[in-house]
This record gives sequence, C-alpha cells and structure tokens, in this order.
Amino acid sequence: MWNSLLGIFHPAASTSALIWRLILAVAFSIALLVLLHRFLGPRGRRWLIAFVTFAGGLYLGLEYFLPVRGSVLWPTGMPNPNPDRAANILTPGIEPIGIMLSVVGAFTVGLGIYSLCQVHGRNVAQRRPGWHNSGAFFLAMSAMLVFGLWAHYLPDQDAPGGRLPWQESTYELLFGGIFMPLQAATFSLLAFYIASAAYRAFRIHTAEAALMMAAAFIVMLAQVPVGQWLTHGLPTTGPLAFFRLETLGDWIMSWLNTPAQRGIVFGVAVGGLAMSLRIWLSLERGTFFSEQG
Amino acid sequence: MGGLEHANWFMSALFGSMCLIIVVSVLLAQRGREMFIRRIPGLNAIEEAVGRATEMGRPVFFSTGLHGITIVTLQALAILSYIVKLAAVHATRIVVATASATLYPVLEESVREAYTAADHPEAFRSEDVRFVTEEQFAYAMGCVGIMAREQTATNFFFGAFFAESLILAENGRALGALQVAGCPDPVQIPFFIATCDYVVIGDEYYAASAYLTREPTLTGSLIGQDIAKAILIALVIVGVVVASAVGGADSATNNFLLNLLASGAQ
Repeated sequence: MWNSLLGIFHPAASTSALIWRLILAVAFSIALLVLLHRFLGPRGRRWLIAFVTFAGGLYLGLEYFLPVRGSVLWPTGMPNPNPDRAANILTPGIEPIGIMLSVVGAFTVGLGIYSLCQVHGRNVAQRRPGWHNSGAFFLAMSAMLVFGLWAHYLPDQDAPGGRLPWQESTYELLFGGIFMPLQAATFSLLAFYIASAAYRAFRIHTAEAALMMAAAFIVMLAQVPVGQWLTHGLPTTGPLAFFRLETLGDWIMSWLNTPAQRGIVFGVAVGGLAMSLRIWLSLERGTFFSEQG
Repeated sequence: MGGLEHANWFMSALFGSMCLIIVVSVLLAQRGREMFIRRIPGLNAIEEAVGRATEMGRPVFFSTGLHGITIVTLQALAILSYIVKLAAVHATRIVVATASATLYPVLEESVREAYTAADHPEAFRSEDVRFVTEEQFAYAMGCVGIMAREQTATNFFFGAFFAESLILAENGRALGALQVAGCPDPVQIPFFIATCDYVVIGDEYYAASAYLTREPTLTGSLIGQDIAKAILIALVIVGVVVASAVGGADSATNNFLLNLLASGAQ
C-alpha cells in the first residue's frame, strides 16, 4: 500500500501513462485549489498552513530521529530499496517530497518573470529615465528564451563540417560569449572591493584595529615566500620555532580564528533550532502574515 | 566531516532536551515571567536608519540575499516586516529585492500584510517588491542599480549572502547610504563589518524578531536558546578537559565520553 502510493511519484513507465498522470495531476490540483479558495476563509487558511507546516516538520523530524537499519526498513522488516543508505519506514518518502517541493518552486518562476515584466514594462511605457535599460532586459530575455528553447528542442543531427547548427551557436554566443564573461567580470571586481574595504578596516584608530592589523599582517606574510624567507633563520624545532612566520600565521588561523568562528556557528545553530521550532509550532506566524491568535 | 544522515541516541537526547528547554521557556514567558534581553546595537540602529531615510526624503532598500524559503530568509522576513511597518508610519518608501522566485510571492504578501498592519494599505506598491534574478552576480549588480537609481538613503542586508555581499555593501557605501547588515554566515560577517555602519552578528540575527517585537513567545524562545547554548558550551568544556586529561585526541579513541561527544560531529 505504502510503496504503491509512493509509486505515483516515480517516473511513468510509458508516454501514455505519463500523459494520464499529468492530466489527473492538473485536474486534481485545480479542483483542490478551487475547493480551498471557495470554502476556506482567512481563519481556515491559517489553520491549514499551520497544519501543513506541522505535518511536514513532523514527517522530516521523525525520519531523522527514528531508528534505522541498513538492509531493511525499520520497523517493518521490508527490504530497503536503497541499501547504501540506512533507512526507516519514512525514508522512502524523502525523495518524492523533495521532488514535490521542486515542482511547487518551479511554478513560482512564472511569478518572478511577471514581477520583472511589470517593473520594466512600466519603465518603457512611461519613458522613465534609463528606460532603454528596461528595453535591453526585454530584448535579452526574449533572445535567451527563443534561442535556448530552440537549441534544446532541435532534433539531433550531424552538422556539416562538425559545426553547430546556427540556433545552437547563437545560444552559445549569448550564454558563453556574453553572459558568462559578464559574470566573470563582476566577480573580478571583488578584488578591488576587498582592497578598499581592507584599507578602511585596517586603518589604525583604535587598539582593536591595531591588533587586527597586526594579526592580518602576520597571516598575509605567512602565505607568501618572502614572509617565510624573513624568518628562515629561526630554528625549525624548539621554542623559537613558534616565531617562524608560517607557524605563527597557522597558529593564528587554527587557534584564534577557528574557535571564534565555531563559537559563532554554535550560536547560529541554536538560534536556527529555536526559529525552526517557532515556525514548526506556528508561534511566529504573527510576524509574517497575521496577528497571533 | 559530513552531516549525520540520521540521529544517534546521543544526538536525539541532546536535540530533544534543547527543544524542551526552548518550549518550557516560551511557556514561562507566556505566563508573564519577566525576561531580560541585552542591548543589541545593530537592531537598535534600525529605527535610526529608517528615520534618516525619512529626513532625507529618500527610499529605503532591503535585500534578502540569495536563498529561497529557508530559516535564514524567514528571519529576514520577520525583520523586514518590522521595518516596513516603521517605514509605513513615517511615510517612507521601501524597495525590496530578492534573488529567489520561490521567495518572491511570500515576500510580496508579507510586505502587503505589514503595510495593512500599520494601517497604511494604500502605501503598498507591488513594483517595489522585486524579483531581480537567480544569478548571483547579476543579482548583485541589479541591486546596485536599484540603489543608484533610487538614491536610497538606507540599505538593509538581511539574509543569506555569499561573495556578492562585498559588491552590495561597498557600492552602497560609495553611494552614501547608511547600511545595516545581518547574516548568520561567519565568512561574510567581516565583509559587512568593513563596509556597513551596523552589523548583526551570529545568533543576534535570530534574536531579531524577539528583540524588536518584545513578544512574550519570542522572548521566551530567545531565553531558551541562550540556555541551550550554555549547555553546548558546557559540553565543549567537558570535552576539552577530558581530552586534555587523557593526553590528546590520538590516545582518546577508547574514551567513552569523548567518543560520545564526537559521535554528534561525524
């Protein structure tokens, strides 16, 4: 029963089965949405959201905490479909839930595109300052959409002389020739931003800034050959070895920086746990959508 | 070290007791028990930052970072909700940008609700909540474009940020905006500290909604998470003392207590 229920989330065996599943899924989704919209008031909607949040959290939480076995599903004793991963009775449902979330997420891309078109469409229609940039957005989006889909659905064929079909080469030009270099250029700007931010951070106007400057200076010198050369005269063993720049730099990173970072991570993890609990139990709902009831 | 696929009994007991402490703290706070929260300058600065934008007659910008719907962005949404209410009362425009199409409808609804809660539903403009793009650096440049075109007086960066954090904050600074940032990722915090006026660090980020609203439920949860953190610190101290006593990690492999503590980190 459980496995046959999960079976509907696995790939269909044939094209006709896939089409039937798609029709049924769309009809079911529309019927469900119409029913919910028709019969649920704001209060009912809040309860539904709270119930789905609680049920989802309970399922994933129990899957993590219930005991597991390697070769069988705990506690049924049925064979584990994926023996490489220890499992309990809830584990087989994890993958379908992930797929369902991806599908729901994919629907929202349309809303995102609508938002972009709304903002840029208004800029073009009202000829606002910089409206030509919004025009460039529509041009770029249309070009990527048309050539991306065209190249994707082009039937496989042997191109003469090993050249790509023109639709695919146009897409390659747009993506690999324009988009990717623009991304790389933006990323490379970081080098200059780091330099200007570091200059401000390391200006010595307080004792803390001086300490940070000194630590940064040692760590940076320890990374480069000239830094290692500066203290190469010190012995490699014994108490003085600690003052070799590479050892000192490593000590600052491992014994000062790492514990401080881990301390922050501890706090963040517990904070995340508390926040998750509040969301799971719908204690924080009032912050987002409605006053707490 | 990768994460555990499933919890062992020690993890279950530790996790369960921390959850119990948080829930008990929430219940105690709901019954009216007084609870103290220390001052967090980064969160105090929010009001000053919105006030600055009001005085200058220029908009506020809020970025939720790159993640979709996660705990990090839900906390950012809680902070945004507070800022929108504040901005609505002061009749200050706020522009919100996200890099997640999944988060976008939730964000729009949340901002609309905040305007309604502040009794200014007419001030909500759907074009001020924008999905920019899901590409990291294109998002960064899109946000910089918004800051430059709208001449924002104040920029808020709350959410999950990565390499784009410095591009956003450094450009915002160059444009003369007052900036407040909050990010739970320790790698990005130094970049924000170097470029922003106020930064909310580590677990302060998750304390924001309790600190700003002083809601008993949220305050109780904050106290509970502090007690849970104290337990973790105690476990770290026990681990350090025992490991030192048995002579380091190499000779500690047969020590029951160390094996138990390490089992949560495998």
